[in-house]
Amino acid sequence: MSRGWTWLSCGALLLLLPGASRAQTTVDPPSPPSRAWVVVGAGSVTVRGDCQTCEEDYPYRSGGTLLGNLGYRVNERADIGGEILWVPVETASGQIRATHFDAVAQVRPWTTRGFFLKGGAGMAFIRNWVDAVGPAPINSKALSVVIGGGWAFRRAERIGFQIFASQHAGAIGDLQTADGDVPDVMSNFWTIGAALVFR
Amino acid sequence: MTIRTASIALALLFAASSALAQPAPEPVAPLDLEPAVDLTEPLDHQPPAPAGNRACDGCPPRGVGRSLLQTTGINVLYGLANLARGQATARITPKTWWANMENGWVWDLDDFVVNQIGHPYQGSNYFNAGRANGLSFYESAAMTAFGSATWEYYGETNMPSLNDFINTTLGGIAIGEVLHRAGWLIRDPRASGRGRLWRELGATVVDPVTGYNRFRTGDASASADKPAAMVPSAIGSAVAAGVLWRGTEERAVNSTGQPFVEMDVLYGDLEGGRSRTPYDAFTMRLRLGGGSAVSDAKIRGRLLGQPLGGGAVQFTVAQSYDFQANDAYDFGAQSFEAILGVSKAFSPRYTLRLFGAGGLTVLGAINSLPLGVEEVPEGEVDPDAPQGVSEGPRFYDYGPGSNFSGAAVLTRDRDIVAAFLYEGRHLFSLDGVRANHFLQHVRADVTLPLRGALGIGASGEYFSRHTFFQDADRTEQQFWYPQFRAFLTWSVR
Repeated sequence: MSRGWTWLSCGALLLLLPGASRAQTTVDPPSPPSRAWVVVGAGSVTVRGDCQTCEEDYPYRSGGTLLGNLGYRVNERADIGGEILWVPVETASGQIRATHFDAVAQVRPWTTRGFFLKGGAGMAFIRNWVDAVGPAPINSKALSVVIGGGWAFRRAERIGFQIFASQHAGAIGDLQTADGDVPDVMSNFWTIGAALVFR
Repeated sequence: MTIRTASIALALLFAASSALAQPAPEPVAPLDLEPAVDLTEPLDHQPPAPAGNRACDGCPPRGVGRSLLQTTGINVLYGLANLARGQATARITPKTWWANMENGWVWDLDDFVVNQIGHPYQGSNYFNAGRANGLSFYESAAMTAFGSATWEYYGETNMPSLNDFINTTLGGIAIGEVLHRAGWLIRDPRASGRGRLWRELGATVVDPVTGYNRFRTGDASASADKPAAMVPSAIGSAVAAGVLWRGTEERAVNSTGQPFVEMDVLYGDLEGGRSRTPYDAFTMRLRLGGGSAVSDAKIRGRLLGQPLGGGAVQFTVAQSYDFQANDAYDFGAQSFEAILGVSKAFSPRYTLRLFGAGGLTVLGAINSLPLGVEEVPEGEVDPDAPQGVSEGPRFYDYGPGSNFSGAAVLTRDRDIVAAFLYEGRHLFSLDGVRANHFLQHVRADVTLPLRGALGIGASGEYFSRHTFFQDADRTEQQFWYPQFRAFLTWSVR
């Protein structure tokens, strides 16, 4: 997925939002939000692998990402649910694919503001992770942790919009590779993006 | 580029929110507190509405911005303390902040006790910066994550540690809420005089942030009812002091006894009713001595409770914090579990309670040595390493896993007469020596009342550890030992 595709997706989301809103207001008065919490979005991601004792500076790689949340609105301040983040990054040696499945909670400290914080943990699947902490590609499961935040617009409507920034960690741990053991390996994914929110 | 953009975006969002929210604090009740007005009461019987932005007269005033500020202040205090101790990791600059942001999370190499007790305690301070400013449990949980993340990125020159972040956040929530509620058990906001002052000071030792805020705002000397959510439906505790004998694989009992003191607390009623108030019921165990300074610490706090089958079975979702140090293993974990419980009364005085639980361990730590190494080598610590910098190697491993347990408890007038406990844990060591660890712990207690609250008891325990290494030979190791204790108990209700 190219960077251009990412920005195209974000633009499409932005364009879609007013359309959806107009369509609602011309037919019926908007119904109150449900208890559902559904988020679909895209963003730009930077990926890097590292380990505590590695001497080498490993490269940063960039690409696009897709994000989805499905969950339950606990109250006006909190949502809980699941999150999936899919990260395909093209390299000269092939496509790195990382998929994070996390249980997440999202908190809005102020009900009158769009600001929110998000955190969660789960599992990540890292595939064909090339040139990350050595020349050989790596396939591994990892402990996934996510922190992030953002700003939600139209948060009281059934269809809203949010911008977000987040950091996902894929805690891989000690790896046994063809080139020997690599201890304390971690993959980091920094994302900025935009998403539609359905409630 | 995205790192810089993401970081700046987060910082701008955060700063804008803080600034916007400061002038107009919201008079909204914390989520898990009782409503200030009971709609079932006639209007003339209604308690007076609380003043200002408090959920109740005895509740702290709500302030999200102040909570964020105090959380940051706690980080500054910890940083200054480290600086005063001469720790190289405390010499932070904007350059180290940026380097940490560029690098992202790592696994750290710190000491086991620092990571499994020290960081959770630090997290409890962040949590109580939320609670002390009127935030709900879950909002304070988010505050803990904020404090922990900012400490990891900006409080030390070390790269931010993911295992610290998890331990500080989840352990901090568990310890923080227990300490917050313990503080409210000590306080008597209707009392006056010197007794009142000593209680407020005692509570401040237990929960420093809430205590500081109460002295700062004058609440420490004001007369008000305790917040209803901070008054447990029941409370019971038992202190046991005695001698512990630990066996080996060859001998059931080692002749050298070790003194210990154990405190068990049962706060609230875990056995029945519908609950959505986190930690309105929890159990806590703390054992000092018995081979190490802290040999056992466990918190199990109810997040939600629901009767099933017309109340015949009680379903509970709980959060757990664990720390164990014994000859079979050093173990610490942050977990969540689902519990099913039933109780059967044999007579008006005797009741049998049965529990079964299963859950997930988000992150567990277990001591471990590489294959072929029998004990931690001497002199592994680099003497040239700057103070406060852990350069490894680390002789314990981290990973997620699962946990399961069962218990049978016979009580007489709510005092435990006999108890049997089985705990099993699986831990997949992700960071460290790749292996599956299977830990088992069996414990049987008998207690006899002597006079009044005084009783005498004996306990037998069995610890087992089975490790399946993921090396080419699929090596297995097993280690076990028994443990016996004799003690006097003092029950308090």
